[in-house]
Amino acid sequence: MESMTRKVTPVDDDTAISVSNITKSFKVYYDKGVSLKDKLLFRGRGRYEKHQVLKGVSFDVKKGEAIGLIGQNGCGKSTTLKMLTQIMYPDSGTITMKGRVSALIELGAGFHPDMSGRENIYTNAAIFGLTRKEVDACVDEIIEFSELGEYIDNPVRTYSSGMYMRLAFSVAINVNADILLVDEILAVGDAAFQAKCFNKLRKIKAAGTTIVIVSHSLGQIEQLCERSYWIDKGVVRLSGIPREVHAEYLAFMGDKAARIQAAEDAEKGKTEAPGTQTETKDDKRWGSGAGVMDKGDMRDEKGNQQTSFHPGDAATVRIHYRAQKPVDDVVVGLAVYRSDQTYLFGTNTMIDHIGRSELSGEGTMEICLEDLALVAGKYSLDLAFHKPDGFSYDFWRESCLFQITSDKEEAGLVSLKHKWKF
Amino acid sequence: MQKTLKEIYDYRNMIYMLVRKDLRGRYKGSALGFLWTFLNPLLQLAVYTLVFSTVMRAGIDKYYLFLFVALIPWLAMANSVNGGATCILSQQNLVTKIHFPRQVLPIATVTTSFVNMLLCMIVVLAVCIFSVGLNFAVLWYLIPTMLIEYVLALGIAFLVSGLTVYFRDLEHIVGIFVMAWQFLSPVMYSIDMVPEKVYNIFMLNPMTAVIISYRNILYYKTAPDLSTMLLALGMGVFFLVVGWFVFAKLERHFAEEL
Repeated sequence: MESMTRKVTPVDDDTAISVSNITKSFKVYYDKGVSLKDKLLFRGRGRYEKHQVLKGVSFDVKKGEAIGLIGQNGCGKSTTLKMLTQIMYPDSGTITMKGRVSALIELGAGFHPDMSGRENIYTNAAIFGLTRKEVDACVDEIIEFSELGEYIDNPVRTYSSGMYMRLAFSVAINVNADILLVDEILAVGDAAFQAKCFNKLRKIKAAGTTIVIVSHSLGQIEQLCERSYWIDKGVVRLSGIPREVHAEYLAFMGDKAARIQAAEDAEKGKTEAPGTQTETKDDKRWGSGAGVMDKGDMRDEKGNQQTSFHPGDAATVRIHYRAQKPVDDVVVGLAVYRSDQTYLFGTNTMIDHIGRSELSGEGTMEICLEDLALVAGKYSLDLAFHKPDGFSYDFWRESCLFQITSDKEEAGLVSLKHKWKF
Repeated sequence: MQKTLKEIYDYRNMIYMLVRKDLRGRYKGSALGFLWTFLNPLLQLAVYTLVFSTVMRAGIDKYYLFLFVALIPWLAMANSVNGGATCILSQQNLVTKIHFPRQVLPIATVTTSFVNMLLCMIVVLAVCIFSVGLNFAVLWYLIPTMLIEYVLALGIAFLVSGLTVYFRDLEHIVGIFVMAWQFLSPVMYSIDMVPEKVYNIFMLNPMTAVIISYRNILYYKTAPDLSTMLLALGMGVFFLVVGWFVFAKLERHFAEEL
């Protein structure tokens, strides 16, 4: 793991954002007096501690590129985004940005409940710095995107919270900008609308907009971004291809949680035999080990272990698990990758609304993939036990390798069921 | 500074929307609605007239008009300063979450007060016509007088809006200050009543010159004194320059203080 500090480089033509060695500290008051009386009478009270949030963060983003900022809460990623938005300014270091900046940080800013949706579009867009003409030009697009239809002329106070957020998001995302800053907001509306927003982000990116995303949803970053920056304690700890950075990040988080767990256990005096709590960590496997997979394999319809399938076959993934102590908040996840690391499919028990699984003792569980709609090629399967917040008990990359063989030379990523009619 | 000015110009639509929202939203839900914009000054006028013409007799001819032509411009100033003190605090959500030139907020607050004054001026002019008549030859002096008052109000609004973020007490201090300022400006009385000894001190109050100008134009129907107006302009520009730079300095840390 390397700690990265980059030299100041001159901004060349295709650089959209250049952040160079920025630092920021906040005053944390022990007992803050904001009134005049306090300032005059209790001068000694204004003691504070300087808390340095950013200790020299540097990165460049090329035009049309998307990057993700990840890290634990309080690591400084949101502060970095606030600097990019120019809500705050760095104590030292420079930020250079080219073009119009728009931020999807606060949705529905300045919405007035008594005014209609349409009127609020105008107010809200004005806050983003659009002139009336510019709003006129895109108002229809915004209304269409929001799917509010005839409700658009009703007062906003009559909207459901979903409608409200949809309207707010539609305004924000339809503001044309050269640089788009996104902070943890892709959780708007129902699943269909979320997908729509995500597609819109893809389109925006394809149109050449530079995007910076702060998110805890690593999957979203992996799907959209070329690079990921892991910010830890005010510095960029690692940067690179999202999937690789995220693996390191998750491993680190798992380690950390394991250490905390170990410390807690030690405190309780529960000295367990060494080795029972298998703390796992290597390139392809990490987690705290509270619940572990002993074995994961794939089986065909007859129940025989199998590593080769045909397109459209059914396959059952069987997991043998073991839990030293009962764990009751396990989300079981599964992801399919092609051999070139293209992410094809992922789901988990939370996405499928199965609810949390409880693990205790030993046992097996099965996931049936009813239709392997894949073209010929080599694939791998990731399996995971993790908490709802992503903290991993056992994350096992490439737990199974399998291949699809076919006599047909279908191309692309997936094998869609099809029929020809003439 | 040039960059800031350009950015404020780019955000002119935001100023427009904020002013509009404030003016329209203010009386939303009330039965008489926008009519209150006119009713409010008329009712205030009624109260003052009742007190000063029948109870405490001021001995000034057509006192209600004497007062009215000064009271409306004064209220614009008072609303600008009081509103200016809270305009950043009351828009915390915007300031901590969204980038826009912060100057937009005090500008919108002051502009709202002045648009309100312009609407009330319609009532003032109507009352003038029925009372003493209008001298159209001097009426145009209202424009430079209002501009001078606007500059002054904006300067003070910049100053108090920025400072209030750091010293919250200022909001209440400003309230008392504005009340005292009203009594120290010749709004309810004539400048002639001011004792000679303190006359020069009174003229240091920029609102003295502004009020005298309004009263000359509308009540006495004469052109305002040029030197009085220049004095007011000078002080207005002074406040605007000081306010601008103080605000620019304070503005950088708004998001952290709020």
